[in-house]
Amino acid sequence: MAYSNRVEVRRVEMLEDGVQLASVFKIGDHTYVMLSDTKANKTVLSELPPTLGEEFGPLLKGVDAPAGAHLDMDPGGRVEGYGVFEFPYGPVSFGVPEAGGFKLVTYGERVIKVVPQVNFKKRGVEQASIGRSPQDALILVERSAGNFSASYSTCFLTAVEESLGLEVPSKARWTRAAAVELERIYNHLHVFGRLAEAASQNVAAAQANALKEDVLRLNSKHFGHRYLFGLSVVGGVRRELSKAECKELSNASRVIAREFSELVSYFLSSRIFLDRLQGTAKLAAADALRLGAVGPAARGSGIQWDDRLTYPIEPYEDIYVNMETDSGEDAMARTMVRVNEVESSTVVLREILDRIPGDGARAGAEGHRSRVDLPDDFSFCRVESPSGDLVQVVRLDNEGRVSGLHIRPPSLVNWLPLAKSLQGNVFTDFQFAFESFGLSFADSDR
Amino acid sequence: MPKVWVARGLKKGVLTSRFPADRPTSAEIPESALPPSPTPGADWRAGRKECPTGAIRAEEERVDLGMCIYCRRCSSAGFSFGEGAGQESRALQAGAVADVARATRRAFRRSLHVMMIDVGSCNACNLEVLNLSNPYYDLTRLGITFTNSPKHADALIVVGALNRAMVDVLKRTYESMPEPKMVISVGACAISGGAFTGTEGFVSPVGEAVPVDVVVPGCPPTPIQVLEGLLLATGRMTKATRP
Ligand code: SF4
Repeated sequence: MAYSNRVEVRRVEMLEDGVQLASVFKIGDHTYVMLSDTKANKTVLSELPPTLGEEFGPLLKGVDAPAGAHLDMDPGGRVEGYGVFEFPYGPVSFGVPEAGGFKLVTYGERVIKVVPQVNFKKRGVEQASIGRSPQDALILVERSAGNFSASYSTCFLTAVEESLGLEVPSKARWTRAAAVELERIYNHLHVFGRLAEAASQNVAAAQANALKEDVLRLNSKHFGHRYLFGLSVVGGVRRELSKAECKELSNASRVIAREFSELVSYFLSSRIFLDRLQGTAKLAAADALRLGAVGPAARGSGIQWDDRLTYPIEPYEDIYVNMETDSGEDAMARTMVRVNEVESSTVVLREILDRIPGDGARAGAEGHRSRVDLPDDFSFCRVESPSGDLVQVVRLDNEGRVSGLHIRPPSLVNWLPLAKSLQGNVFTDFQFAFESFGLSFADSDR
Repeated sequence: MPKVWVARGLKKGVLTSRFPADRPTSAEIPESALPPSPTPGADWRAGRKECPTGAIRAEEERVDLGMCIYCRRCSSAGFSFGEGAGQESRALQAGAVADVARATRRAFRRSLHVMMIDVGSCNACNLEVLNLSNPYYDLTRLGITFTNSPKHADALIVVGALNRAMVDVLKRTYESMPEPKMVISVGACAISGGAFTGTEGFVSPVGEAVPVDVVVPGCPPTPIQVLEGLLLATGRMTKATRP
């Protein structure tokens, strides 16, 4: 499949219907926008039209924020008055086991406004990567978000390898994809466990967490690291799965899928759990699109976008992936998207493991698919991480060192949708809303 | 419903680790958690060139585990992981340094309330610490519990590369803990900055902001290694009594 099917360069003057802003980035002297055309399933690139600057600004707040101070992701609107109470949550709290917080504005028990506070842990991966060789930059990139490291490294390396014109063995690409699917499975199990804990279903939470531990142990057994660090290198992977290993992993994934579906069926018969999720934190489809939601958060509002289908890198072009969506728009819908993705991810994983090519050579070089005809030279990649679309734009200098890196993390664009969805909910629903989005401050801050 | 859970529990059997009564298994301390050690033919200078964090001190011919991010790049210079690297105790391996006053240790021998604070991590250390409460590790069987408030905490687990935005928060959290108290730095980032040394947000090792009693190297350390750090900190295990 040629890139031209998936990537389109055109001059965009306004946001059309069904088109979502994915990212804005500066390369050289120009500023570009990347859009997701959810109707045509295309990635659209354009130079930033001056007319759109204003409109795009607030959506991508935090993209260039400097380190050292936190940043309010204010969804706008002032709320003041008698009985309105504002209180801080974080950056140190147990509900959010990371450095990050929220400003909650409440009236009685209703939440009327939420301001996510990010950047407490901004390390500055992008700036620190400049001037490094891709292999050295990778060390930082895969530690941007430890629990999305396979997605991060696959995204970064795919773009780098394309810039360098490297022929990467198919086997390596398929191995990376297997890692990305395992990452999705354990992250979804993690989110499910957190939701169960929030509902005080401790036995169920323990079982979900035990399953997650099983996957982490599979990661370390077959890919050399519990969080999949160090698996990929520029031009390939460090470990090759043998046929026997593929079989073992494939069987193990079947067991995990079965145990999880048992767990879920008990869960869905628990009123306590369902009551907390159904109707909680509604995010209308139009808001999801307008505010830039990605991943299970967007698919739970019926938006059809999954990079594995809409921006398929090898091997996803050859593999059947079922897009899991739900039109419920609430925390339940987002949870069900994740639940169904655990199942479908194990199916994808098994297909990858079954068909992983044994060869070294890459099947039919398809040329530069993300390098398009624009004034500046760069390559990019989009990977569906467990929490949604991850975008990275890379530019290398003549010596092959990184001279520009732009990361648009999935969590960053999901904060405003989260804030929007919480408006009008009761305060005690906060935990369910937050966990159902499955966001990470490490990811958004990077 | 409750019956269903009992049945499921019985079907799965006992998952919980035998540690610290027994040695950790290789599933609990996988090879990726084993630190580098020089083989007889190791080339220290080549190792130093390969190492992205400066953990290999060629002049002193030693590896500073607090800086090591377990990236395995030094294997090309003759550093090995696993076999021969002190296999007798697969956990920690000279990693954790316990430096807690005896009095503090005595106070916490039977029960310990732990709070975790993140000061700029990638989230992997956070997850490994939280994993301590899953059925495989079941921290509470050892009388160790997590708490949400520094006012209730005896020990503070710090994860992440100390960020400029978190320095004051960390200090205030530490100050609001009652005496006696201790601090455990978990992971290369907290101990030395790890992979993030030199980034825009990084300030200093955690030890320069608050006094650190125990360090647990790793990137990230596995739950068993964190647990071993906790046991060393409370004096319930020493280097000599390690299984
Ligand atoms: S494993 Fe990596 S960080 Fe550790 S000493 Fe070797 S090269 Fe350095």
